[in-house]
Amino acid sequence: MWYLSGEPNQTTMQKAVDAFNSANSADKINVTYFQNDAYKTKIKTAIGANQAPTIIYGWGGGGLKTYAEANQVEDLTSWLEQNQDLKKKFFPSSFGAATINGKIYALPNQYVAPIVLFYNKELFQKAGVQPPKSWEDIMSLVKTFNGMGVAPFSLGGQSRWTSMMWLEYLLDRIGGPEVFKAIFEGKPNAWMDPAVIETGTKVQELVSADGFIKGFSSITADSQADQALLFSGKAAMMLHGSWTYGAMKKAGQNFVQNGKLGFVPFPTIAGGKGDPKNGVGNPAAYMSISSKASDKEKESAKKFFKDGILTETVIDAYINSGSVPIVNGIEDKLNTSEDREFLNFVYDMAKNAPNFQQSWDQALSPTAAEALLNNIDQLFLKSITPQQFAENMNGTLGK
Amino acid sequence: MSNAISTAPRATARIKESRQTEQRKAALAWLTLPALFFFLVFAVIPLAGVLILSFTSWDGIGAIGAAGLDNWFSVLADPGLYNALGLTFLIMIVSWLVQTPISLLLGVFTAGSQRYRAALAVLYFLPLLLSSAAVAIAFKALLDPNFGLATGLGLPFLAQDWLGVPHLALGLVIFVIAWQFVPFHTLIYQGGVRQIPKSLYEAAQIDGAGTIKQFFHITLPQLKYTIITSSTLMVVGSLTYFDLIFVLTGGGPGNSTRILALDMYLRGFRANLMGPASVIAVILVIIGLALALFLQRLGGKDKQGSQLEGL
Amino acid sequence: MSTVLKSNTQEARTGTIGGPPAATGGLGSRLKRLNIPGGLGGWIWLAIIILPVYYVVITSLKTQAGYFGQNPLALPASPTLENYQMVLEADFATYFMNSAIVTLGSVIPTVLVSFMASFAIVRGSGRFLKLVNGVFLMGLAIPLQATIIPIYLMIIRLNLYDSLLALMLPSIAFAIPLTVLILSNFIRDVPNELFESMRLDGCSEWQTMWRLALPLTRPAIVTVAIYNGLHVWNGFLLPLVLTQSPGLRVLPLGLWTFQGEFSVNIPAVLASVVLSTLPILVLYVIGRRQLLAGLTAGFSK
Repeated sequence: MWYLSGEPNQTTMQKAVDAFNSANSADKINVTYFQNDAYKTKIKTAIGANQAPTIIYGWGGGGLKTYAEANQVEDLTSWLEQNQDLKKKFFPSSFGAATINGKIYALPNQYVAPIVLFYNKELFQKAGVQPPKSWEDIMSLVKTFNGMGVAPFSLGGQSRWTSMMWLEYLLDRIGGPEVFKAIFEGKPNAWMDPAVIETGTKVQELVSADGFIKGFSSITADSQADQALLFSGKAAMMLHGSWTYGAMKKAGQNFVQNGKLGFVPFPTIAGGKGDPKNGVGNPAAYMSISSKASDKEKESAKKFFKDGILTETVIDAYINSGSVPIVNGIEDKLNTSEDREFLNFVYDMAKNAPNFQQSWDQALSPTAAEALLNNIDQLFLKSITPQQFAENMNGTLGK
Repeated sequence: MSNAISTAPRATARIKESRQTEQRKAALAWLTLPALFFFLVFAVIPLAGVLILSFTSWDGIGAIGAAGLDNWFSVLADPGLYNALGLTFLIMIVSWLVQTPISLLLGVFTAGSQRYRAALAVLYFLPLLLSSAAVAIAFKALLDPNFGLATGLGLPFLAQDWLGVPHLALGLVIFVIAWQFVPFHTLIYQGGVRQIPKSLYEAAQIDGAGTIKQFFHITLPQLKYTIITSSTLMVVGSLTYFDLIFVLTGGGPGNSTRILALDMYLRGFRANLMGPASVIAVILVIIGLALALFLQRLGGKDKQGSQLEGL
Repeated sequence: MSTVLKSNTQEARTGTIGGPPAATGGLGSRLKRLNIPGGLGGWIWLAIIILPVYYVVITSLKTQAGYFGQNPLALPASPTLENYQMVLEADFATYFMNSAIVTLGSVIPTVLVSFMASFAIVRGSGRFLKLVNGVFLMGLAIPLQATIIPIYLMIIRLNLYDSLLALMLPSIAFAIPLTVLILSNFIRDVPNELFESMRLDGCSEWQTMWRLALPLTRPAIVTVAIYNGLHVWNGFLLPLVLTQSPGLRVLPLGLWTFQGEFSVNIPAVLASVVLSTLPILVLYVIGRRQLLAGLTAGFSK
């Protein structure tokens, strides 16, 4: 099995695997850890070379689709029908990204990870301001914090999918989920929607106002340097995935534990069509089984899926690290956790969002995703206009 | 040759000898077979492979399908290609302009007899020992606006967002490449300089030529082939500066350091577009071939002869 | 360049200093006149070279807190080897072994087959050899990077994916053109008379090759061996694409992975840089004399 490195999930997964292995010595699972960005490339090469691991970690969506269409992953639909209790365990919405052409090719896993607007409470107190509820709030906060010598927003721009989070929310708030839906369906000129242009304009407005930390385009998310900026007080806010809560809890030297980490939903945009309750992010993580694995390996993998992945221990571990596992019926556990404020916040968002948009770079095909990330990079660097961004992306429709 | 033999037998002996020589020389051809084997299988065939793949559509995962000229059209119409081309040539030319004079001068410098120069030469060689990845990583840390050289030397000017601003990133890349490869070319020039016979300089001295005149009239001309060798290596090498740039900037920020080789890799292995990536590969090869031919021309016809002739 | 006046004392000084072994070719008495601007340039360049190296070394000895706190160029307040320990525990010895295997496994065959081919090209004649020579020369222009995709495909089909052998084969192939070029140029400079005398002694071409050409070509062989060796040692793209198991990583790849995972811990990352270079450095220090002797011996024919 291949999995992502990085705490706290790495330890959690290792423990789950160890527990499974000791209880099932005949079906031992071997895990190799890879860094996020490297993993995304490596897994494709491996699959192409027929050297894929038995259990393939992923994010569903477009990436999974390429695997499925190349017959590289197992169709799990019937297996899940046979194991109804396993299927019922998970949030129903989490199967969406795992379903390709009506068949399920991956098991949802881990936790739901919406994108959250985090902020440094201490800095906010110092500046005497409140977290933003609207775009105007954001722009005024930008002025305030720059005046204080603190970066308004931390951003790991080099990873690019972090910058993408901004576009995801902005587009949703401004144009509603239909805009991306059209893009996803490959409708002609879907990218030329005025909402897209406005999204790009707002982004560049923020960049021009020095809204992001200096040097953001060379900070990677993999190194967690962007998180470090938030908890070390160098940046006031950060738009990031909910999983960073756990990471910051571990590395932030009690920043989280001392209650200094605040979180709010993404602000509304005046005149926007999107429901402010809409969420954006990863509905879950996904695990697939390589179709090239031996039958024995596939059986072991299925066993692991059934008994090893979301055991009570693992669920507790995720909750402990501030993540909401995609398991039904955990409300009580959430409420007894020391992080219940955040957990309930995430849980509500995931449960009650009228629409939950999967991260664009995972929903789209890898080809389109790569073009997207590239263009986002340039958009944030202001080397292309929002208009050009839309045009460039238009060229990727249907690829 | 022996001189006690009369003409007629000598002629036949010579003919027999030359035939034997010919046979012997032709037999030498076998010696090239191992090298030829490796080269054909792992270099030439992949070369053909690239051409073929450029006409296919493959995502690296599934099956390989035919795509006719589609890839060619899409790549040639893509402004990204021209960006990559421009960058590649820019880096190539500027690198040459930066590295050659420095290496030349350093080569002359280290070829000197003073002992301290030998010691310096040892130290100069250090960057070559580092892998490109190591160099890139070291410089990334060094140039951190908050914790690197800028703070250390107290020079705010150095606290730029080197890797975040397009032009700066490009300049930095050129600098780091030079940092890493000048030592190598210095070595080449040092070797070349050492080969220049003392007699030439002594003659010039007698004629009253000063240092500069000597440099331009003796050193440089004598170094002609060295310059060509070094330049060939540098130029062809610059087509393939993948490692350093990959680790240092990953092609960014934006596309500002996305040279041809990097563009190819990203297209193929990240965007899953093996067909178009192969098109870029073919372009890379064509450029390489063109450059090599050009440089060969420059080398002149007496490439086959030895430079020592005529002395 | 500014003009520097020759001085008697300088001349005398050059005479008394021995200089590097095996003579300096033509320039001893002439170079002393480049003293001031040359010397200055030399020292400046030295600073440029040394500064990053210095920075890397001292930072690798700092603790992470120290890194964030102290002046980056100051010596560590409390030097520690914990970073090195961490790096070694992260399998660096394995990576080093892999690199060594791949490098030796590439350079030795390359030099061997190229030497034979060069000898044949120079000493032989006939259309076939001319053709081979041409093929190799054209090969000089082919960048390895361009063929990575078909090589990837080939290696998969040959079932060599994720193996060290996969790294060696293309490396050998692509090193051949340049090696042949350099070696053949060198062999060409060997005076014909020497070959004639070998032939008159009754030696076959094969014997001539090993007994005469090989020793005389040693400086060039050393040069190409080092050039190719460094190239392969530093090779990044081939391992990146053709291997995946952590246990098969070569040093540059290991370094990159390590940096990705620990990039907030700069001292540790730089420790890994130092560790990855240390063996080469040691080799260089030991082998430098040999290297210099080998290189300069050839020039004092």
